[in-house]
Amino acid sequence: MNWRKLRTFLLTVLVLCLIPASRYYQIDLPLLQFLRGSRHVDPFSLHLSGEFVENNLGTEQDPDGSVTVRMIAQQYLFIPHCILVPAGVPVHLRITSADAVHSLTINGTDYAVKVLPATISEAQLQFPRPGEYKMPCREFCGAGHYAMRSVLKVVPREQFPALRPEERGGCAAR
Amino acid sequence: MQRDRRLSTSARSFPGLGGIVNVVLALVVALTAGSLFLLAGDNGPDHIPSYVTWTPETLAAASRGDALRGMFLARRCDHCHGAEGFSAEAYIPNLVGMDKLAVWKQLEDFRSHKRLSRVMNPIADSLSSRDVADVVAYYAKLPAFADSQDNRIFPQSRPDPGHAAMASRLVSFGDGERGIPPCQACHGPVAYRPGVPSLASQNAEYVLNQLEAFGSGNRANDINMPMRTIAMLLTEDERHALAEYYGSGLGFQPASATGAK
Repeated sequence: MNWRKLRTFLLTVLVLCLIPASRYYQIDLPLLQFLRGSRHVDPFSLHLSGEFVENNLGTEQDPDGSVTVRMIAQQYLFIPHCILVPAGVPVHLRITSADAVHSLTINGTDYAVKVLPATISEAQLQFPRPGEYKMPCREFCGAGHYAMRSVLKVVPREQFPALRPEERGGCAAR
Repeated sequence: MQRDRRLSTSARSFPGLGGIVNVVLALVVALTAGSLFLLAGDNGPDHIPSYVTWTPETLAAASRGDALRGMFLARRCDHCHGAEGFSAEAYIPNLVGMDKLAVWKQLEDFRSHKRLSRVMNPIADSLSSRDVADVVAYYAKLPAFADSQDNRIFPQSRPDPGHAAMASRLVSFGDGERGIPPCQACHGPVAYRPGVPSLASQNAEYVLNQLEAFGSGNRANDINMPMRTIAMLLTEDERHALAEYYGSGLGFQPASATGAK
């Protein structure tokens, strides 16, 4: 192996080492996040950048007709407080916690999603019929746990409105 | 075939640097592509409620203040917030009995104009981050109970019993049906969260004004929007009841102990 090849090899190794090192030193360059391919998020700075900033929470319509719902669980609320989704359409749920361990359950269905800080929990849901579901927290998370409850409204597909970004986080858009 | 030949000529035209140039070029291309990929999913500017993050470093920086230096700095707060932290007007907040982090966060938000006030923004602009930590350390040392010998406005008159019962229920249990968590789970005295103010020694009018500002979105500096959500769910009556409850000094003990049923 000649010197030039060795140098290239060492540089490549160094760059590859930066990927795990960036996590250790909490350097969050977008590319490094992408390379890590992780579902890691910083629970302290959800409100500053990334997919869990305020105006990105709630129901987003995907090009293929399905919807993505992004939520934050924190003592003692699920944010947004009311979620609107169409019936009979795949719902991709992405939720993370800003503090403790929570568990999002949807009463009347089998769905239950464990919500951990620093990790994005994902679930694929689908609701065949319109209706209103309570979504309580089923993991004891502190003094206000028993009142931690939000609402999921499933409306017929044709009634589901085209949501503007500022309308995503609630049921007022119905 | 043609492509291969071109690549090898470019490597040869930078003798001795071929390897490095290729690696650096690849990195630059990948970085640009990565950031473009992330920008593509963006929809307009993000609303950032506050630049504060409750990391261990923040907690340390906010609690590192020098209370003695803060005492001198706090003399310019006296005019509105009172020499002992009890304000003379019910719409101005009392600063006594407040957790360090709570006042610190509000001052930082005033400084970054994430919370808007014609009075507080210019004052906070004139403070350095060290000043903020010092002032906060001073107010955290003041006794939280009002001296009854003194002619102060806190606590205000007791609320009517109907309101007190409604407020007491909300403070101790919240409303599970509507998903409103109990106030005392975050605002004390049962439990606290970082940066959450104690409400036990707060003025009624100030509490009411803040609930209304949160409810209408005029105040939007709560991280992950808990207070905007809760204030929106509260009825007008409930907001008044809660403001009266805290303004009359009932908030010092757990709501179940205040006798209101």
